[in-house]
Amino acid sequence: MSSNRWLATGNYFTSYKEEQRIFFTSLDRAAMSLLLLCLFIWPFFIVVDNKYMLVIDNILVAVIAVMGLNLVTGFAGLISIGHAAFVGIGAYTIASFARVLGDSHALLTHAWPLLILIAGFMGAVFGAIVGLPALRLKHLYLAIATLSFQMIFQWTINFMNFFNQGQTISVGRVVWLTGQVSRSQHYIFWYYAILVVIVFCGFAVRNLLRTRYGRCLVAVRDNDRAADAMGMHPGFTKVYAFALAGFLAGVAGALHAYLYRGVGIESFTLHHSISFLAMAIVGGLGTLPGSFLGPLAIKVLDLQVERLSEWAGAHLTFATNLATALRPLSFGLVIVLFLMFEPRGIANWWRIARSYVKLWPFRY
Amino acid sequence: MKKKSMIGWMSLLVAVTMLTLPVQSLAGKVYKLGLSLAITGPTSDAGNPYSKGVEDYFNFVNDTKILGDDKIECTIRDDQYNNDVTKRNFEDFISQGIVFYLNYSTGSTLALKKDFEEEKMAVIPASFHAGNLIDSHYIFLPIASYSTQAIGLGEYIVKNHKGGTPKVAMFIHPSAFGRGPVEDLQKAVAAGLKMEIVEVVEHGKDLDNTAMLQRLLSKGVQYVISQTVQSPVATMLKDASGLGLVAKSFGEAGKITFLGCHYTGGNDLIALAGASAENFYWTTSYIVTNEPSPGATAQLELAKKYNRDEKAANSHNYTNGMMVAQVATEVIKRAKAAGKEITKVTLYEELQAMNGDKAFSPGTTVGPVTYSKTDHTGVDTLQLYVVGGGVFKSVGTPFIPVFAEKIK
Repeated sequence: MSSNRWLATGNYFTSYKEEQRIFFTSLDRAAMSLLLLCLFIWPFFIVVDNKYMLVIDNILVAVIAVMGLNLVTGFAGLISIGHAAFVGIGAYTIASFARVLGDSHALLTHAWPLLILIAGFMGAVFGAIVGLPALRLKHLYLAIATLSFQMIFQWTINFMNFFNQGQTISVGRVVWLTGQVSRSQHYIFWYYAILVVIVFCGFAVRNLLRTRYGRCLVAVRDNDRAADAMGMHPGFTKVYAFALAGFLAGVAGALHAYLYRGVGIESFTLHHSISFLAMAIVGGLGTLPGSFLGPLAIKVLDLQVERLSEWAGAHLTFATNLATALRPLSFGLVIVLFLMFEPRGIANWWRIARSYVKLWPFRY
Repeated sequence: MKKKSMIGWMSLLVAVTMLTLPVQSLAGKVYKLGLSLAITGPTSDAGNPYSKGVEDYFNFVNDTKILGDDKIECTIRDDQYNNDVTKRNFEDFISQGIVFYLNYSTGSTLALKKDFEEEKMAVIPASFHAGNLIDSHYIFLPIASYSTQAIGLGEYIVKNHKGGTPKVAMFIHPSAFGRGPVEDLQKAVAAGLKMEIVEVVEHGKDLDNTAMLQRLLSKGVQYVISQTVQSPVATMLKDASGLGLVAKSFGEAGKITFLGCHYTGGNDLIALAGASAENFYWTTSYIVTNEPSPGATAQLELAKKYNRDEKAANSHNYTNGMMVAQVATEVIKRAKAAGKEITKVTLYEELQAMNGDKAFSPGTTVGPVTYSKTDHTGVDTLQLYVVGGGVFKSVGTPFIPVFAEKIK
């Protein structure tokens, strides 16, 4: 351990336990505490339109989903192109309760934290089931298996009357300690609710990676035969990687359902699965900060491109098709550019910045 | 020196304030409206001319001072046919303080229904899905629903079919937009509309409909009612034409007569299907520009005034957008004339009072626009058109489907 608890120029680990600390220096801890404090108190000082609160909430929901995808694809190395379907499982769990009990039933409006957990567990169950082919399949073949799940999910929702054939199933307003959350409080309420879930999930994932189960994920990703030879169980590891990813996706889906007060298949299509994957890649596969930075980057980019294509669609009438193509084009371009020039994602920039601080006053 | 300069600046400020004050008090009010639709992305072929129709008519209202010194400021946002974006746009419009909202797709109208209720905001969507009106007090369809249109086509088939019970197939979009009329047409059949619905085909992104058409023919299908957008219909018509299956006259034996609801037709269909579109029957409540009428003239002049190309000027979606803008303007005008303050509440009241001698005839539709507390469908009348010589021509006079009322 460094003698300076605030700045440690270099590594001073003398035990594995020290290497597994959540915060290496007091500066790390203080910075995280300050960040969390800022995230919790800024709404008291800055008034934001509902439009932007919805964008922020949407980013936070994506963070939870990408955290799950990062576990299975980033840490365990198992490609999943059906992540939106897992998110959809969570959302449609809430929708199923709404269909059976009515959208304003007390269970939905009062016991919503419980339902969010149930949605997470449903996601985990489906994740584990879809993870079973991972015992036999790898790489491209596994990607196709998850893609199939995405297709099956979409087809099932689209053609089942119970799920309103994919059209929106309404979800009622929730009740909190102060009574029913009104329309004016809705987005700010869900901001805090989702933020709390993110803090729990973030620390849970960070802690998981400190345990043998977390290290198993990385070991299986790097070489599953070697991991097997060292006494790990690659099959079990792969299944629980999918289950954990499914859990987080299910929670994200349930939060999406409550945030939008409705569930429709349009929000859980293959396009969304690819978006989640892009967020994980751009953020940084196999890194926890990447799960936060990726959704932020992609959603903000999406918003800017949306504005640009709207402007082009309205003013350059001859270029409507180009305006239509701008969104997928920019999206694809960002993924390709990151894969080419920064395959470790934005998280790598964060790592470099931290290293700079850590080594200061020496040059990085 | 500093003091002098300060006094100078203060004087200038006072002068500017004095000059602008009377201007501000003389200036009219600004009424904010919002429209979220697909200007780009899926269905933008309909959304783009629709947005131009809305934009041009509101510009016309402001330029020609239809509301006196008052102006309409309608913010038009592209949602790329994405419900989540539509919701975001709607929230933005609410923050801006809109008094009236224009929406677009069936999906987003259904998804935002609860928001409209909570906001007590009158909404006219571009979707004519009958389901929009279920459990809703604030959604107003501009024209007859897709269900009414399909029933209207069914009634025309029954009336003009020679021989026994006509066998009909439905060719629909795989969504609520497409599926909406199926159940209602089946209800009409159950209520006594003497035809047989042999099959309901939900199309995918098929590039070839040969097998489907042969199957329908083998089942004795003579009529196909389409409820989707133009491109799948164009593909089907081209395939039918290639197989020599298109009826040359209505109900020709051994051939198939193709019919469709509002979004299947229009000039875009002719552009896509070419000669294969000949003898395609189409119903809508809007006028067409190739047939002279005061509404058509007004539409073409409006498009010309704002430099729109021929395609947009003659698009039925431009008519559609223009018409909803006309309705919105009319309710503002009426509320003003009644001495009411223009709010979402007063506009909602005026919209519901638009009936009887207060019915509104915009000229762009084949019948008057009427709304009441119990009737949220604008134009109840439909007109049948058929493609002949590369243009849509009226068939008979405007009509109101009888079975649409019977199944309510």
